Amino acid sequence: MSNNLGTIIGFTFKNKVKTKSFLITTLVLAILITIGMNVPYFIKQFSGGDDGPDRIGLLTGSGQAVASELEKYAAASGNKDYTFVKYEGNAEEPLKQDVKDGKLEGYLKFEEDPADSSFPKVVYAGEGGMGQGLSTYLQGALQNVKTAMIAKDALTAEQIAALNKPVSLDSLDLSEEAKANAGGDTEKERNQKIMNYVTVYFLMILFFSSNMMTGNMIAAEVTAEKSSRIMEILITSVKPLNQMFGKIIGIFLVGLVQIAVFGVVVVANLMLPNNVGMLQEFHLSLTDLNISVLLYGLAFYIVGYFLFAVLYAAVGSIVSRTEELGQAVMPITMLGLAAFYIGIFSISSPGTMLIKVTSFIPFTAPTAMLVRIGMGTVPTWQILISLALLVVSIIVFGWLSAKIYRTGVLMYGKRPSFKELRKAMKAYKI
Amino acid sequence: MVSLQLDHVFKQYGEKTAVNNISLQVEQGEIYGLLGANGAGKTTTMRMVLGLIYPDGGEIRYHGKPYSNELTRVMGYLPEERGLYPKIKVSEQIVYLARLRGMSKQDADKSLRYWLDRFEVPEYYDKRIEELSKGNQQKMGFIAAVVHRPQILILDEAFSGLDPVNVELLKATVKELRDNGTSILFSTHRMEHVEELCRRITILHRSNTVVQGDIKEIKSRYPREEVVLHTVGEVERLESIPGVKSVERNERGYQIKIGTPDTAQLILQHAMAQTAVERFEIKEPTLNQIFIQEVGESNE
Repeated sequence: MSNNLGTIIGFTFKNKVKTKSFLITTLVLAILITIGMNVPYFIKQFSGGDDGPDRIGLLTGSGQAVASELEKYAAASGNKDYTFVKYEGNAEEPLKQDVKDGKLEGYLKFEEDPADSSFPKVVYAGEGGMGQGLSTYLQGALQNVKTAMIAKDALTAEQIAALNKPVSLDSLDLSEEAKANAGGDTEKERNQKIMNYVTVYFLMILFFSSNMMTGNMIAAEVTAEKSSRIMEILITSVKPLNQMFGKIIGIFLVGLVQIAVFGVVVVANLMLPNNVGMLQEFHLSLTDLNISVLLYGLAFYIVGYFLFAVLYAAVGSIVSRTEELGQAVMPITMLGLAAFYIGIFSISSPGTMLIKVTSFIPFTAPTAMLVRIGMGTVPTWQILISLALLVVSIIVFGWLSAKIYRTGVLMYGKRPSFKELRKAMKAYKI
Repeated sequence: MVSLQLDHVFKQYGEKTAVNNISLQVEQGEIYGLLGANGAGKTTTMRMVLGLIYPDGGEIRYHGKPYSNELTRVMGYLPEERGLYPKIKVSEQIVYLARLRGMSKQDADKSLRYWLDRFEVPEYYDKRIEELSKGNQQKMGFIAAVVHRPQILILDEAFSGLDPVNVELLKATVKELRDNGTSILFSTHRMEHVEELCRRITILHRSNTVVQGDIKEIKSRYPREEVVLHTVGEVERLESIPGVKSVERNERGYQIKIGTPDTAQLILQHAMAQTAVERFEIKEPTLNQIFIQEVGESNE
């Protein structure tokens, strides 16, 4: 009997991987990933980084002083993306014309600010608003110019530079016993933290998306077997528990294959010459990867998967027709969404009561505990308790789901009520 | 030897009784007919035999023992709605089903090829079920039910939807299985198949057993009330013979309904006195007639 499980896993896996829908979905997603990863590069290409800096006109008018300071600042800062072009006088028309002709990206004009006599009001005019990068640049440049103009010669250049330097605000988690040594994190530790953040984020998205995808696959398979009545033959051949777990494991393997394909696509894309610089830009390096976070993450990923999968199988068995499935799996989808969002929203505050409590609730533990492990601190015994709770709930819900499965697959027509299910479940061994 | 025994088996769905106290025995190498109109309880009875659902009362024994998981290897089942994966190749799914019932892969493959050859469709080995016609899908369903050489075979409406040629093919196969010692529980609402295949039957009507036993014996319990008479010339005044209920003329001769068996002899004498008799038969009632009489409803 026990080798039945292997037979079912093999059959489920082989036939799922071969289906057109699976091949197409995987291919489409792989293409989307490839496109998504190369979009930043293409945007850079098309936004014309090559044809010199964007020219910003300056309508000096009443702001002669400011315009000169801006030019000085731009020259000193060495920024290659933007350059200022002075237009003397008050006539706005030539500037407008140049913007129209594409000679200028836009222009700045200076107006008297009735509320503030020390510095004029600056207006940017251009076709289609101001981009994020330009806005940041102009803000910084004007702030510098303002400081320099107000301070005049009262301060030295060093003092002005010091004033303009942003204040550094670091957070230090006091519960981190080991890191209580003052002075904050070293460079290495900071990088590890960023890497942990990336790992946790990535694992949560992986957990959520593969759970949704494979979960729906499981439910759909069960419903299809039920509606084609092949279930009647299967139930008389194999124990429902074997049948259910054979299916779940088979589809889990399908999911792993899909993830592996995506992984290869991601790595291949990262190795493209245009993307090689990206990782360095974010100061990410695989050597900073925290192995224990990854291992715990995978452990929670697997047990979490099985917990959700048995529920999907149970729901699939209750529904008679594939069309009704979407509605029936809603509650489980909601549960998955809750787990995902609790994790995502707590990633920057891993010490709240919410995340502590949810890290012990089996359905939310895979994400909540992962956040605590990766981003905060958590004693090992708490991790183990959470894992143990998950395993126990897999056994409990697995058993319950197998009962529902055994009962549900023979119920046709309308969806059975809880009362009917309970009554029928008492009758069947699994 | 009794392969399958149902003893006062009872099943209720909510308030409704689905099967009321059915008892029957299927011997080794016997085809047992389970008859009844739609909704009479045939499928429920079969599902209980298969262990798909449990009886609320009574007992089912297999070779003298109660249900156990080992039975999956010795039982075969063809459900009324064929039960196969539409998008999967015939070979893959039938070998899979056979392996689930404990066969080795090679053994299952060999058995499948034997059956495909037997049905003269070896080219279906690599076809998907959805590519086949309804009748051929049914043949594949039948193969799926027998591929692991079951000792107890449950066939739910095995012949419905088949053309006459395939019905004959399947009938011959079922008989062959019977002769090799398979016990077959066979349900249908077509009486003509039953008379040819089964020795004993149970007729269910609205969950109750209305007629049960050996077909010959059942028939002998019902009076012979119909006479077929074919003659060379005309026969006059048949209606005037005492005991004749009605006379119906057709191209070849007469079909006469009678009240008592003695009347038949009177009819023969009456006919021979007038002309030469080509055919004379006192017909035993058909199962269909018995069924209609018992159930009191028309049956297709």
